[in-house]
Amino acid sequence: MASDIPLNWFLYFAAASFSIGLVGVLIRRNAIAVLMAIEIMLNAANVNLVAFWRYGNAPAGAGPLPGVILALFVITVAAAEVAVGIGLILLCYRRWHAADVDRYDSMSG
Amino acid sequence: MDPNLPNVDFRDFWFLAPAIVLAVWGLVVLLADLALAGRLSAPDRRRTIGWLTLAGVALALLAAGVLVQVQLLAQAETQGTPRWLSPSLAEYFSRPGGAIFLGTLSADLQTGVFNVLFIVLLGLVVWMSMAWSFTEEWGEYFALLTWAAVGMMLLAASEELVTLFLTLETMTICLYLSTAFEKTRRRSAEGGLKYFVYGSVSSALFLFGLSLLYGLTGTTQFEAIREVLASTGPEARGLSGNVAGATAFLLMLVGFGFKIAAVPFHQWAPDAYEGAPAPVTAWIATGSKLASFVALMKVFLHALQPWSHPSNEFMGPGWLGVIVVISAVTMTYGNFAALAQRNFKRMLAYSSIANAGYMLVGVAAASVSTRGAEAAGSVLFYLTVYAFANIGAFAVAAWLVRDRKTDDIDDLNGLGMQSPLLAICILVLMLSLIGIPPFAGFFGKLYMFMEALDQQHAETRLTLIGLVALGLLNSVVSAFYYVRVLKAMFLREPGGAKRLGPAGRSIEIPIALGTLVVIVFGVYPGPLISVMQAAAVPMLTTSAGGYASMISAPSGTGYAPLPPPDPKAAPPASPKSPVLSPEMAKNYGALMKQAAASMGPSPPPKAAPAKKAEGQPKAP
Repeated sequence: MASDIPLNWFLYFAAASFSIGLVGVLIRRNAIAVLMAIEIMLNAANVNLVAFWRYGNAPAGAGPLPGVILALFVITVAAAEVAVGIGLILLCYRRWHAADVDRYDSMSG
Repeated sequence: MDPNLPNVDFRDFWFLAPAIVLAVWGLVVLLADLALAGRLSAPDRRRTIGWLTLAGVALALLAAGVLVQVQLLAQAETQGTPRWLSPSLAEYFSRPGGAIFLGTLSADLQTGVFNVLFIVLLGLVVWMSMAWSFTEEWGEYFALLTWAAVGMMLLAASEELVTLFLTLETMTICLYLSTAFEKTRRRSAEGGLKYFVYGSVSSALFLFGLSLLYGLTGTTQFEAIREVLASTGPEARGLSGNVAGATAFLLMLVGFGFKIAAVPFHQWAPDAYEGAPAPVTAWIATGSKLASFVALMKVFLHALQPWSHPSNEFMGPGWLGVIVVISAVTMTYGNFAALAQRNFKRMLAYSSIANAGYMLVGVAAASVSTRGAEAAGSVLFYLTVYAFANIGAFAVAAWLVRDRKTDDIDDLNGLGMQSPLLAICILVLMLSLIGIPPFAGFFGKLYMFMEALDQQHAETRLTLIGLVALGLLNSVVSAFYYVRVLKAMFLREPGGAKRLGPAGRSIEIPIALGTLVVIVFGVYPGPLISVMQAAAVPMLTTSAGGYASMISAPSGTGYAPLPPPDPKAAPPASPKSPVLSPEMAKNYGALMKQAAASMGPSPPPKAAPAKKAEGQPKAP
């Protein structure tokens, strides 16, 4: 059970990759890159969940399963989001002939 | 896998009946559309598939209604178990309600009421969609609307963060897609993509906050989280000095802020509202907002309740200060931005942002008031009334787009002369949205603001009085842009090349029903407000059962979580913890006051002591 890597390291790693994802969403202009950045954010949360699950004290009777189970669900949800996201990006690309999110500005105010 | 895992009671599936019906019906609709695709033209398919979807909605409504009725009758039975059910079902339904599926979903009055509400709203949205042909993929369109409803129903019922995240995603992913369904306009695709990007970023933020909260408490169930947080003792309550807790709280608040379109997380709303086909906009503005607010209240008023802290300090020790600031900014910004809009749907989007601000006043009040359930119930009342008024307003937008191809406020010119009856209905809807007395919108605001003013803590009284005053000023501002709609309808000559045609059933019914709801609950607000306040009690107290008692606090190296729960403080968790008998629901307010009084002048007399008073013999 006890591993050599402390829990903190996982948390720092997750926080760092989450921040990388967030910065990516904010500064990247390519829609596909934004999508990838969102995936990084979701996976950072997954690292957190699995690390907390691994380091938690399993009580007698029932383990705190939700951590690792939620991670599995998140992977599924992320796949669904990519499918939807790619579809929407394609729809916009067909109309603007560009994947640049700054170009999609027919509405404002 | 642990062999001692508890088994799921298969009778729990009865409570999912409405959701199962709708989920299956989505598939039926898809298949029927596939079968008809070659044979019928798109407008014919729109009607056929639309009616088929409405049949499914009626079926689900029947299931939800029967379920509520059976549960109420079985619980009202005084002599033993009811005979008109099989013994095992009779025993099951006469339980006082609570959490099902190992404590992941709730099956109680609140769930029943909201199931019915979501299904009725879905019916109106589907009916509105049959007004004109804005797409050709009708099977997919109606199936997505239906599945979004499934997500909403389960989101409003979820009692646990995993379920909450999954149902939130089910709902929003369906809505991203339906937003982009208007193929003839490019702004629909743009609105869909913007909604998707903002929505999934907010989901990721929420998920990261959720993972931190899971790490801090070792559990995902609302009641168990509340117990862990409350067990730290009154002096350590609140968020000051708790960096991980504050991060988790803020990230989850940002996630919910996006979903309910609170400033500064509102940027997607105007674009998505304007770009989406009018029925989808109506579905986002009503169903999605309703479900997100219920989930928000469950998370912040139930699970994170110990972190709220009555305080006047800006960003004080609890999260109240943050909510108050967001609420103030949201309603002010929403109303002033709406003043500048020319597009009807965009104006409604900003009005919906402003309304989220008003509702957050109620949430803030519920978090610190000793009458938490009453305050939360008044938010539910406001949400219901707001949903029906908005469905009617978006039906007007659908009418404009169908006949004029644009949906500016000026397109309404001269409607009063052309179809006086519908114009009067719209007048009533707008007056209710402003909050003019005889209509339900007024009573929604009245109840909510009265609860906000009824504060026992001197620390919060001033803050909330200020917030309510700001809310009233904002209502005055909002009158200006709603009145512009009325001015266009009644004072201007009809202009433009295309006249509005006759509305047709699918536009008339949502407008008429919205007006009816607004008038009926304006004249008799009593029944609805008492139902909603009774529904708010289980919403804020359902004890999860299942794993609630088996909480682990992670103990990694160099990692100091909150202390594990005091075994004496945690009530014995049984799968169906009997917290929710109707008498207790009635006495809830009294119990909370009593508990507050027994705590004396010490600061935190909140839901926590009252919960113990309800669940088990009172603590000395």
